[in-house]
Amino acid sequence: MKPAAFEYVRPDNLQGALAALRDHPDGKVLAGGQSLIPLMNFRLSRPQALVDISHLTELTGISVVDGAVEVGALVRHQQLHEHEEVRRLLPVLSEAAGEVGHWAIRNRGTLGGSLTHADPAAELPAAAVALRATVVLANADGQREVPAESFFLGFLTTDIQPDEILVAVRFPVPPADVRYGFAEFARRPGDFALAGAFVEMGGDASGSITWFGVSGGPERRELDFPDDAQARKAAFAELAAEFDTGEDAVYRRKLAVTVAEQAYQKAREGRR
Amino acid sequence: MADIASRPQFTGSRVTRLEDARLVSGQGRYLDDVEFPGMLEVAFVRSNRPAAKILKIDVEAARKLPGVKAVWTHEDCPLGIKNAGFDCTQWVLAKDEVRYVGEPVVAIAAESRYVAEDAADLVQIQYEALPPVLDVRTALKESTRQVHEGKSNVFFHRERKTDGFDEAFAAAEHRLSETFIFHRQTGAAMENRAFAAVTDPFTGRLTCYCGHQSPHELRSELCEMLDLPENMVRVVVPEVGGAFGIKASMYPEYLVVAWMALKLRRPVKWISDRQESFLADVHARDGVHDVEVAFNSDGTIVALKDHMMADGGAYTAVPFCGAIGETVTAASVLTGPYKIPHQATVIDCTYSNKTPLGAYRGVWGPIASFIQEGVVDRVARYLKMDPAEVRRVNMLSDEDFPYRNPSKMVYDKGSYLQSMEDALRLIGYEDFRKRQAELRKQGRYIGIGISVFVEPTASASSEAGSVGYEACTVRVEPNGTVTAALGLGPTGQGHETTMAQLIADQLGVDVTDVVVLHGDTDSAPFGGGTGGSRSGTIGGGAAITAGREMRQKLIKLAAHALEASEEDIELCDGKAYVTGVPAKSMTIRELAQLAYTNVKGLPPGMQPGLEVVARYLPPFRVSFSNGTHIAAVEVHTDTGKIDVIDYAVVNDCGNLINPTIVEGQIHGGVAQGIGEAFLEELRYDRDGQLVTTSMQDYLLPASVEVPRMKIEHIQTPSAAEGGFKGMGEGSLIAAPAALIGAVSDALEPFGVMVNAMPVTPAQVLAWVDQAETSA
Amino acid sequence: METTKAREVVQITLQVNGEAHTVEVEPRMLLADVIRHKLGLTGTHVGCEQGVCGACTVLVDGEPQRSCLMFAVQAQGHDITTIEGVTPESGLSPLQAAFQKHHGLQCGFCTPAMILTSEALLRKHPNPDEAQVREALSGNLCRCTGYQFIVDSVLDAAAQASKKEGQ
Repeated sequence: MKPAAFEYVRPDNLQGALAALRDHPDGKVLAGGQSLIPLMNFRLSRPQALVDISHLTELTGISVVDGAVEVGALVRHQQLHEHEEVRRLLPVLSEAAGEVGHWAIRNRGTLGGSLTHADPAAELPAAAVALRATVVLANADGQREVPAESFFLGFLTTDIQPDEILVAVRFPVPPADVRYGFAEFARRPGDFALAGAFVEMGGDASGSITWFGVSGGPERRELDFPDDAQARKAAFAELAAEFDTGEDAVYRRKLAVTVAEQAYQKAREGRR
Repeated sequence: MADIASRPQFTGSRVTRLEDARLVSGQGRYLDDVEFPGMLEVAFVRSNRPAAKILKIDVEAARKLPGVKAVWTHEDCPLGIKNAGFDCTQWVLAKDEVRYVGEPVVAIAAESRYVAEDAADLVQIQYEALPPVLDVRTALKESTRQVHEGKSNVFFHRERKTDGFDEAFAAAEHRLSETFIFHRQTGAAMENRAFAAVTDPFTGRLTCYCGHQSPHELRSELCEMLDLPENMVRVVVPEVGGAFGIKASMYPEYLVVAWMALKLRRPVKWISDRQESFLADVHARDGVHDVEVAFNSDGTIVALKDHMMADGGAYTAVPFCGAIGETVTAASVLTGPYKIPHQATVIDCTYSNKTPLGAYRGVWGPIASFIQEGVVDRVARYLKMDPAEVRRVNMLSDEDFPYRNPSKMVYDKGSYLQSMEDALRLIGYEDFRKRQAELRKQGRYIGIGISVFVEPTASASSEAGSVGYEACTVRVEPNGTVTAALGLGPTGQGHETTMAQLIADQLGVDVTDVVVLHGDTDSAPFGGGTGGSRSGTIGGGAAITAGREMRQKLIKLAAHALEASEEDIELCDGKAYVTGVPAKSMTIRELAQLAYTNVKGLPPGMQPGLEVVARYLPPFRVSFSNGTHIAAVEVHTDTGKIDVIDYAVVNDCGNLINPTIVEGQIHGGVAQGIGEAFLEELRYDRDGQLVTTSMQDYLLPASVEVPRMKIEHIQTPSAAEGGFKGMGEGSLIAAPAALIGAVSDALEPFGVMVNAMPVTPAQVLAWVDQAETSA
Repeated sequence: METTKAREVVQITLQVNGEAHTVEVEPRMLLADVIRHKLGLTGTHVGCEQGVCGACTVLVDGEPQRSCLMFAVQAQGHDITTIEGVTPESGLSPLQAAFQKHHGLQCGFCTPAMILTSEALLRKHPNPDEAQVREALSGNLCRCTGYQFIVDSVLDAAAQASKKEGQ
């Protein structure tokens, strides 16, 4: 299990990275490498070139701008988990970041990497959808912004173009009366989730639920949460019935209901 | 003559390990740390087909790649591995046909593993697919394709029945049947397998480095298969990062690497990666058991019947064919600690297009324990009796020993009933039952599982080979320090400490003055190695015997030098004293100098030097340890998750050499039991592809899955030297049955009785659903 | 911008255990392989090469990271600490001594990474409870010990340190 050879490009700054990516159409961006390098070690991924952005400090910031928390692409999961402002303004994002893999993985894995890899069982793509985040993409010619919900296109597939780098994710700070809850289930803590859910609840019973791990990508559904537990679970079950869950379909759909209910209860407890 | 060993200082104490200082500081030398100038690294191209004819192998592009030294196919290395008991050879590089995914087909030696893998990518193999045989019931059918053309898929068949079985079975008041299923698992040691070989240009000898449990067994096999004399081959076992049975086998890669070192005249090494480990390390378990039990209304079990089927994989591994171990040994102790008079077994071991089955810790044990405890639990539920009570009714008691079970195995005296009663107390059985009833009312499901085990240990033959004795050399060096050497193959068990404890007590020296060598056929006397829980008992017996011979020699020497009678000499604190005259003494160092340098000062007839070699053969064929594990679990009926919430062990392995090390073995075995019961499964898809080839798919228990355990010891000595019994496997033998039993108990309101391992969350929810649907 | 062609060798300088090491590597070489085979620091072990087993964990700028999921070229400019770097010139570190005292190891293969991860944990949380220790070590697999004595080792090292602190 050793990676195949590749051309290695180490740009000095983002502009250099974008130029290099344009010049290497078969190249891939290397950030934390926690998803890419395992695939390369298995030789399931053999990029011709790697453009290494892991050292670009301009992508490592977290700032609050215009009612949104802007998180640089290279922010590590552990940083996101521990960051004071993120904890205060987006506690559910902090919580979810703390559930990604294990400590050593969180110390190196990046937000940008997680979103562009788009593993359907990953927490952060779903968090971005649940929190109505905007993904900022750049290429050598400029930038564009894509709502997270339309960024994820399916299993390991996103809207990012070969010449683009995800540079930041903008999470709007939710209104004061909106609360969130997050829950997931994995065989062992740290494993990819078999199912997970974010629940978003407004001041009234309306809100949304974003599942992950149950199909090809994050699944967001608007709904009015019934007060009655049986009715609520039935509503979750009805939504979950649509998912193309692959193997263990019956189990995954039941699990989707369980994690949705757990996330709902946590949202009810009043977390933002 | 005072018997020091009767008042030991170190034996039985919690001595901290002598090997730890190097290991905690990263100085342990494992196989990948062995390097020689010019060393080549090997990668294999393995079959990606479960069953196929090889039509063509194109290695041209691979040969041309810069940095590649050799690309070999079968013609370049026509060696085979054959288990003498069976009519089946595995060519080390497949010849004409492949029989499992992961079977080596092409071997590449290059300047680095990176380049070797680049070359492996360039090899093209054309196959013609054959229909794969993938499970034991299919393999048993006459109409199924033969995995080895012209040979029956059933490579082992045996039927045994006690006299009067049919009458007893028919006469019983009740009968139940169940099919027990055991999925494939493997040892998954943290260090992958590896092998290195280098020839010595001066002597022409071949030195092989391998993380192996039986250095001498490996040397014998290498010499036989490479056709070399044994004095021309040296096997060195460096530090080994765990073995658990999988490193007791001979493997194709080892012969290829050794052959390469001889033919290419370069040092060569192969380090398995984790994917290769799952594909090509021996697998274990993989059995189906059709079981019937006959019993009476008072809970007495009178007869047990089992059609034992094991899927042995594509070849019969050397030296230990796992399918035989998982069945024949299970049959020999199927009734466990219960006085079940009648037993009937039919055994079928079959070939399939899967990785060969070999040894994994507790071979047979998790299977027989689950069947034996599963049967008792079924009887209890059927009769609406307390599971502990049914066990009491059937349990061997003190007056039954020596006990001969229906397979004619003779059990040592043990503490069967006491261990269970103690474990019930440790776990708080009565309180648990009350709590269980209360929680059920709240829709929470906790359960308790009892597993009373027998563990045949230290037997004459095991996966470590068929050497029934062990040997130990003890040498007092001229400066008075002690060097010992044994033929064992420790892989984390701490023999450098435990063997030193035994020898130090014989010689009256400090344990830190004894260095124990192992794992080098040049320095160690011929021995059986480590496997089948034999090292403590048989190796320990050898250490004591050799230590005692050395003690006698030192006493004779001291008596002569101090002009006292031998009866009055005492060895203690590194000195020889004359009893009652403390001023009259000599240090071991002074005695050693005398022995080595002052030939004229020796007692008449004594040879100069201080070196003995002793062999120890225990006075039994096998020694039985026993004990009880009780697991408490909570089963979450919304996710299917199973949490182990409490765990108690009462263990009896005779006298203890080092209680801390024994407890470490128990902890590790229980952790593997949790893996076996809930997590670990080597899954093949319908096409015969192994789909669990990474640690993300083959789930090992982590720190958060394994609970804190309560452990107590009972010490019922064996007849062996020191009174030791083996104990390396008992915890993995007992734990899965306890854990699975606890799940069945927790889910009793849903009518669930678990019959397969491992239990997955999806399975749990399916049971709950089924119960709710039918209710 | 630096570009290295496929299979080309590049010279890099790594800061490991407080010492600068200049080595020639292909960009594809994993940090674990360079530490082990170019620097000869073989206390870092490789178990799965996909980040799951944790045996190759080293400290990068003081934080545990997988050396099998990092190319050596990426480690330039960072402080790498391996087990050799936390071992005193004579004797053992408090954590190492605790592992020995509590039998927190058997085969020893996972041990260096367990100790490094525990070092980082105790620096961050000097008085962790058992759940915190288990959570921090949940990405370091051990096949021998069943973890109980490992957890005991870390808890005791923490207790000893805070006792010393209090004196």
